[in-house]
Amino acid sequence: MTQKKTTLITVCALLAMAGMAQAQNTGTTTLSVTVGPEAALTVNTSTTTLTTSSTTFGNPFTGNTSLTYMIRTTKTTGTGTLSLKITADFAGTGGPSVATPPSTGDALTYTCTVSAPGTACTGSQTASTTASTGLGTWGGGASSAKAGNSASVAWSLTDDPVYAQGTYTATATFTISAT
Amino acid sequence: MRGRPALWRIARWLLLAAGVLPAGGSTGTAGQTLTATLSPVGALSTPGTATLSTSSNTFQPFTATVPVSYQIRTTPVGSGTITLQVTSDFTPSGGPAASSGALTYVCSGANLGTACSGTQTASTTSQTPVLAVPASACTGDGGVCSSQNPNSMNVTFTLTDSPVYPTGTYSASVTFTISAM
Repeated sequence: MTQKKTTLITVCALLAMAGMAQAQNTGTTTLSVTVGPEAALTVNTSTTTLTTSSTTFGNPFTGNTSLTYMIRTTKTTGTGTLSLKITADFAGTGGPSVATPPSTGDALTYTCTVSAPGTACTGSQTASTTASTGLGTWGGGASSAKAGNSASVAWSLTDDPVYAQGTYTATATFTISAT
Repeated sequence: MRGRPALWRIARWLLLAAGVLPAGGSTGTAGQTLTATLSPVGALSTPGTATLSTSSNTFQPFTATVPVSYQIRTTPVGSGTITLQVTSDFTPSGGPAASSGALTYVCSGANLGTACSGTQTASTTSQTPVLAVPASACTGDGGVCSSQNPNSMNVTFTLTDSPVYPTGTYSASVTFTISAM
């Protein structure tokens, strides 16, 4: 009996405590973020192979490089640019060269495609090992899609008979920037 | 000379009234029961402002770690929680929005209770978990309580960065709520 009584008292005490009002308190923090101009680029075609359908020097070597860009420029006053530069010229003796083409008129050229909100370069551009050349531009307040937008470069390399037979490789570096 | 016994009588009554002298020469004791009812209590403190930032300019997410200090006492059959809710979404509109799931957080470093696990998505419509405190827990200086006072933990917020957010500064309010019972 004594034990039962003790248990009953304990249960009553616990129930009394369980019935107590819930205590609650709050604190508030303001999260602040400053979103600035940004740009990012993905080169989808890591290696672009230039080929020609001709065996009579009638057509240049051509190939396409696919890009995906993300960009956000400052409202009104911002700008964006996408450019490329040949950071490693074609290697190998007797082959094509961007810096020192073996014949007058030999060149690595390209045309651009940049989806909105970008504006692609116009006409044919000649790639350079010493300067960045244009590919696309953006105005103020430009925003790409969350997943990015597309751009591409269509390359054209002169097929000169003086090029020695072989495989030649160059590196093009793309740069995108936003203000 | 006659005045001295009279003075002594007056002084004796005063001393008796003050309890300095025992009445009638005997010793008395008195007991008093002191009862303190300790109710469940919760209090917390967070910084007024936390700045989300990124070290990248290539659309990597913005992050900020918010330290939370808290004191809590739960009953033997109770429990405690800390939750959070986005009580004011990012303004101005057009930028990031917690209502679209852009704001997530992880909890870490709780020295009393169990921090939320995994990545939580902050909500503008409901409270989401930050901390769970068991029964009979208390903030304190050791013994049956925790050895820290106050207790602390971190909540690290992550805000997605999207090109579609126009440039600018955006602010949101997050309210932390601590409950104990």
